[in-house]
Amino acid sequence: MSNHKKYPCQRMQAEPNSRREMLKRSASGFGWLALAGLLPDPAYGGSTWSAKGVKGSNDGLGVAGHGPHHQVRAKNVIFLYMDGGPSQIDTFDPKPMLDKYNGQDPGKLFNVEPTQFNNNGNVLASPWKFKQYGQSGIPVSDLFPHVATCVDELAVIRSMVSEFPEHTFANYFLHTGSGLQGRPSMGAWVNYGLGSECQNLPGFVALNGGLIPPGGLDCFGSGFLPASFQGSVFKPSGSGVANIQRTEATVVQQRKKLDLVNQLDALAVDQFGKHDSLESAIRNYELAYSMQMAVPDVMSLASEPAHIQQMYGMDSKYQPTRIYAAQCLIARRMIQQGVRFIELTCPSVGGDRWDQHSNLKQGHENNALAVDQPIAALLKDLRSQGMLDETLVVWAGEFGRTPFAQGSDGRDHNPFGFTVWMAGGGVKPGIIYGGTDEFGYKAIENRMEVHDLHATMLHLMGVDHKRSTFRFGGRDMRLTDVKGHVVHDVIA
Amino acid sequence: MKPTVNDTATAMVWLGFPVQRVAAGLGLVCGRKLLAGLAIFGFVISSTLCLQTQADDVVGTSDQLEFFEKEIRPLFATHCYGCHSVDAEKIQAGLLMDSRDGLLKGGDSGEAIVPGDANGSLLVEAVRYESYEMPPSGKLPQKDIQAIERWVQMGAPWPKETEPTAEVVRPEFNLQQRKVDHWVWQPIRQPSIPDVMDTAWPRDPLDRFVLAKLEEAKLKPAGDTDRAALMRRLYFDLIGLPPTVEQSTEFLSDTTEGATERLVDQLLDSPHFGERWGRHWLDLVRYAESRGHEFDNDAPNAFQYRDYVIRAFNKDVPYDQLVREHIAGDLLAEPRLHSAEGFNESILGTGFWFLGEWVHSPVDIRKDEADRFDNMIDVMSKTFLGVTVSCARCHDHKFDAISTADYYSLSGFLQSSDYRQVRFESIEHNQRIAKQLAQLDQGYQRQLKQLLTHSGDSLSASDPLSAGELKLEALKLEAMKLEAMKLEAMKLEAMPAELAQVVVFDFSKIPANDFTQDGFIFGLRPRLVGDAYLETIQGKPQLGFSDVSAAVSDSFWDGLTADSESNVQDRSSLAKVPRSGRTLRTPTFELANGTVACRVRGTGHVVACVDSHRLIAGPLHAGTVKPIQGDQAWVELNLNRYVGHRLHLEFTPAEGKSLEVMLVTQGASEQLRKQWLERESQFSASVKNFQQAAVKLLGERADEMAQAWMQERAKLQATIMLRSRLAMAMMDGTGEDDRVLIRGNSSKPGQVEPRHFLTAVTGNQPVEIGQGSGRLELAAQINDPANPLTSRVIVNRIWHYLMGRGIVPTTDDFGVLGQRPSHPELLDHLAIRFQDDGRSIKRMIRSIVVSRSYQMSSQSNMEAVAIDPKNALWHYRPPKRLEGEAIRDSLLLLSGELDPTQFGEPIPIHLTAFMDGRGRPGQSGPLDGAGRRSIYTAVRRNFLSPFMLTFDTPSPFSTMGRRNVSNVPAQALILMNDPFVVDQAQKWAKVAIENDLTVPGRIQWMYESAFARRPTQPEATIALEYLKLQSEEGDSKQNELQSWTNFAHALINTKEFIFLR
Repeated sequence: MSNHKKYPCQRMQAEPNSRREMLKRSASGFGWLALAGLLPDPAYGGSTWSAKGVKGSNDGLGVAGHGPHHQVRAKNVIFLYMDGGPSQIDTFDPKPMLDKYNGQDPGKLFNVEPTQFNNNGNVLASPWKFKQYGQSGIPVSDLFPHVATCVDELAVIRSMVSEFPEHTFANYFLHTGSGLQGRPSMGAWVNYGLGSECQNLPGFVALNGGLIPPGGLDCFGSGFLPASFQGSVFKPSGSGVANIQRTEATVVQQRKKLDLVNQLDALAVDQFGKHDSLESAIRNYELAYSMQMAVPDVMSLASEPAHIQQMYGMDSKYQPTRIYAAQCLIARRMIQQGVRFIELTCPSVGGDRWDQHSNLKQGHENNALAVDQPIAALLKDLRSQGMLDETLVVWAGEFGRTPFAQGSDGRDHNPFGFTVWMAGGGVKPGIIYGGTDEFGYKAIENRMEVHDLHATMLHLMGVDHKRSTFRFGGRDMRLTDVKGHVVHDVIA
Repeated sequence: MKPTVNDTATAMVWLGFPVQRVAAGLGLVCGRKLLAGLAIFGFVISSTLCLQTQADDVVGTSDQLEFFEKEIRPLFATHCYGCHSVDAEKIQAGLLMDSRDGLLKGGDSGEAIVPGDANGSLLVEAVRYESYEMPPSGKLPQKDIQAIERWVQMGAPWPKETEPTAEVVRPEFNLQQRKVDHWVWQPIRQPSIPDVMDTAWPRDPLDRFVLAKLEEAKLKPAGDTDRAALMRRLYFDLIGLPPTVEQSTEFLSDTTEGATERLVDQLLDSPHFGERWGRHWLDLVRYAESRGHEFDNDAPNAFQYRDYVIRAFNKDVPYDQLVREHIAGDLLAEPRLHSAEGFNESILGTGFWFLGEWVHSPVDIRKDEADRFDNMIDVMSKTFLGVTVSCARCHDHKFDAISTADYYSLSGFLQSSDYRQVRFESIEHNQRIAKQLAQLDQGYQRQLKQLLTHSGDSLSASDPLSAGELKLEALKLEAMKLEAMKLEAMKLEAMPAELAQVVVFDFSKIPANDFTQDGFIFGLRPRLVGDAYLETIQGKPQLGFSDVSAAVSDSFWDGLTADSESNVQDRSSLAKVPRSGRTLRTPTFELANGTVACRVRGTGHVVACVDSHRLIAGPLHAGTVKPIQGDQAWVELNLNRYVGHRLHLEFTPAEGKSLEVMLVTQGASEQLRKQWLERESQFSASVKNFQQAAVKLLGERADEMAQAWMQERAKLQATIMLRSRLAMAMMDGTGEDDRVLIRGNSSKPGQVEPRHFLTAVTGNQPVEIGQGSGRLELAAQINDPANPLTSRVIVNRIWHYLMGRGIVPTTDDFGVLGQRPSHPELLDHLAIRFQDDGRSIKRMIRSIVVSRSYQMSSQSNMEAVAIDPKNALWHYRPPKRLEGEAIRDSLLLLSGELDPTQFGEPIPIHLTAFMDGRGRPGQSGPLDGAGRRSIYTAVRRNFLSPFMLTFDTPSPFSTMGRRNVSNVPAQALILMNDPFVVDQAQKWAKVAIENDLTVPGRIQWMYESAFARRPTQPEATIALEYLKLQSEEGDSKQNELQSWTNFAHALINTKEFIFLR
């Protein structure tokens, strides 16, 4: 928290006197102002809100929304979204039976569910070898040599299931807990519930490596929650985020203009009377002003030591790796600034995202090459800086892939059983949870629903998924709809 | 890794959540401590201990019971009771497994066990993961599954014991009680106008309701606002734009009696009124111009609905008519026509149903339909009724008097209705022509028939054939024979039995009500075998006699063209088929066999519309669209994927080509199809013989008649309206009731629920529906003055938009979870006034804005705030932040860039570098939206305007009668740094400079244009100082514009710019 001081914006404000003061003030950064207007109104969530939090009382708990319900294990989340659906059986879930039955008709071996392209081929063995790594001995395929060196940090969940075999449904589902457009994203829910700890940056950032997931920006939307909880889309280059570059030639000019605005606003009180909504709007200008400095600062990777940049792969020969390396490094820097929820989208590798309906070998190799080294570096860097324990890293696609071929050399979508992993932030390290059948097709042990993943993530962040609700359309809505169980077996 | 069954303790640790479930499940009965202790020894004793047992009257031998207790009950307790016992936090699927009776009774899907029949038991299927997959956390070890099989097989032994009961009795869903308990279901009653002490204050009866409550709380209303503030308020509230300097001078200098009322009338008459209030309406119907989802396909011609809404608000279409048009505008006997252009306005209203998200290639196509219907019902019920019917999709409403049956009774109306792109400009006109054409053709057919059957009577002596009496008799006989054959052909029984079995539709005998089409080209009825028609062979008209019975497209209509939205981004394979006004629709049927073959002649397309899925892109459902080549006798669709689904077929001839459809079959073998063709050729041959004989008999008259017939047809044909714009609209399909889906699960249909309106309003009696969907009847019930919802909801919306908060603040939810009305009598007063006053929205608005309640000042007094901090009683008028649209439109107006052009295709959205993803339009729209009002900027679901999103314009997915009003730094960043804003500031500054005024004069002009008031002395001084400093900074000419731009930009960034006092 102390590094807030480093930022130029801090010149604008007195040092906070205490942590309590700090929390109170930071809570009024992103989101809180919107809520301040909404909360007293029972139409918005009504009794689910702590009245203490609403008034910004100085108990420091109900800083925004309801605040944590229980012990916080993870303060922040980095969500490594593997767009398109990486294949579980080619990454973290080895299945020798695929070698045994390679080339045979899957319909004779098991019941084949309808697929999206309806062009099912024969059982397809993985083109990659698996080895066991670390003390845990968790097997990882040759696609992830760097991540393999971190397996002892991971809880590998081999029994994820989704409800949808199509990208967009599955994306919305993974991001918002509903297959349809228009619900608030995970990052929006988290910031709604906990508020932001970060004054000069948004609490929910989508670092766009180049591929916006099918379904578009609504994967990061705030749905019926106030606009303040929308994910801000950042690009890991250029100005970073929209409208952050001042239009005036110099800082002085902008400052003068804003001073004029302030003076005129002060006089307008005579016209309006005193109103909270106006005062908040006035205060926003100082926050916006300081954001203009904070964003370029957090994006500036030049200040990182050379060995760190190298570790992430900033010097890689492969451009997608360099892009993802920058994203991972920016993510770490944002975590240090207290950004609550950061999602990384994949860089384009020329061909398709992790969506190899054909040419599995080349496609998965390219996609893995882009993210493997940066992800491993991120985990190691967070660990070495003592941040991993409070940062939850989640690696997940929207579904997995079929153990039988699509055509001859691809795999179709498979929501019936796939692998995700979590690390840090209170997760039990070095474990495998759940399992698929002998072909890696369907989860049969400890099936974990997307709602369960959400419930568990929220739990680690100190939030009871059943109690974090927002009233809309006659219902108390929540990220996990009417479902979800916290999977305690993956929690340390 | 896998635990053994015997090792229960390990199993529990390994299973993780079942431990939690069991704890939750049995905790109440056993207590957690006991449970923990028992866990070590396994569950053998635990569950029996917890339940009261009775030794006598058991099912099963003692060995069997021991098996049950040892092997089965522990399994159930560990894996099932978290969800299927009386102590479950939530009982899933209504299934209880903690008693034998519970299992016998079963849950939503019927009995769970059939004692003695393991293979026939749902429970066994479920644990085998054959149908259901239970337990959901993972398949049980084979050994456990076998144990359950064995137990069922031996008759499901279970000791006789008192059935466990939950400690808390779950409340039954009692719709009538809920209706009685909640205010909104009660009839609207005329309240008496309350007495007030300060009789001088009220101007309108509604003021008395407000004042009475204030007086009760010992509060006084705030003073009247000043005229400038009131003017600005009225401008924004009524037309969404600020007054120009001229307009504001005009009003402020008019201090005569009634000036405000005159201004109000003027604003209500402004064409901009519809743009402002139309935008409110679009929020309710989740208006968007693309389908979202993966590729953000276009929703072509959605903008026609937007324009319809704007026109309707400008015209002040009575609200009941507006409702009727939305629900059933396609079914009105006398649709409302556009006053100048004469096209059908009413039908455009039905477009609202189809403004939702659409999905391409859904694997579960029925679920996709259920989701689409859910959204349609959700939007319809919130918009018009202010209740959340969709909450009852999976179970009876948790809080409101709305049952699941109510939900599915409404979805029946949608099951019975279809989507189309309607030719709304030509439909009325061409319908008249279609009727005239039918009359014309019938006239000639009658004449011909008479001539042929009575030709002997009418033949003159000069006729060459008149002498040959015998020949004549023979011909007469031929004619009669044919008549008989025609009748025979129409009888399905006359078909070979095997063929009759596979025929779905035979156009020779399709009932009149089932002969439906979009347009008129297939005539008013099918053409039956032997029917006379006019054909043109090598340019020469000739009489023809139909050799088959078929729905036949008529070349009379050739040349129809449709004007659709340009640059459409639509991947649907239907997009290129010229369907509008040219499509024949079969009734809906259930697919029993996936091979559907249709006997056709001609060229065109057939589309199988399965579960109303129409966004056919990608390979998955590509088989539902099939071209028909000219030389094909049968067109075959492979629909194996959809067996058991409901569908209908749509036939469209290629442009300039004809198409005849005779039969639709499913599962017809090649052999049968061949048989049919043979049979057909028999008819065909005799018809041809007849035709020759008849033409011969008629002699020259055949040609004369054909000539006359053709001329009359040509004359009529010349009056066809060939061009028409298209719009999304509804079309009636086959009237059918929907089935209740158990727990909302589309793969579990239950009972049929007849179509009706909400039980709490009209009882659950089926609506009497003459024909088709019944939406017209539904509209009548929504509009019925006795319905307590509709009028209350709309007057409350109007109040909300004007006053900033509804009398019921939750404008879309008047249910139990919504808020109660702050002034219930006022709400009813307004509702009744609205009904009595022709349901005029404009007049309701007028009543409110001329009231004193509306015209209060934003200056509150501290004591009043202390008593009523939330202003629940309306003691003052809180400042209102402008919507994104109003802010942007104001900027354009100030800069002089506002293009007041109304209507038309959306202006493409300006794409920033941060707006990315699949379906991104190829070209970015102009930064300034071509200067058009915001309502005309394209609303693409996946590429919404960041400006609008930041200022809380809702993301279009459901009804949003009340926008959020957030207040975030991103808004400041936009106003500070968005290139559009800076650009407009500069243009505004230019206008100020060009006005060629003095510096103070310019400052004053800018204040007047932005805030409709003059600057105060201190404001003017500060502005002057700033400008003076600016001009001292650099070279003067360039600097003048820059300085004034900076000043303009600063004014835009003051709060007064985006807040109304």
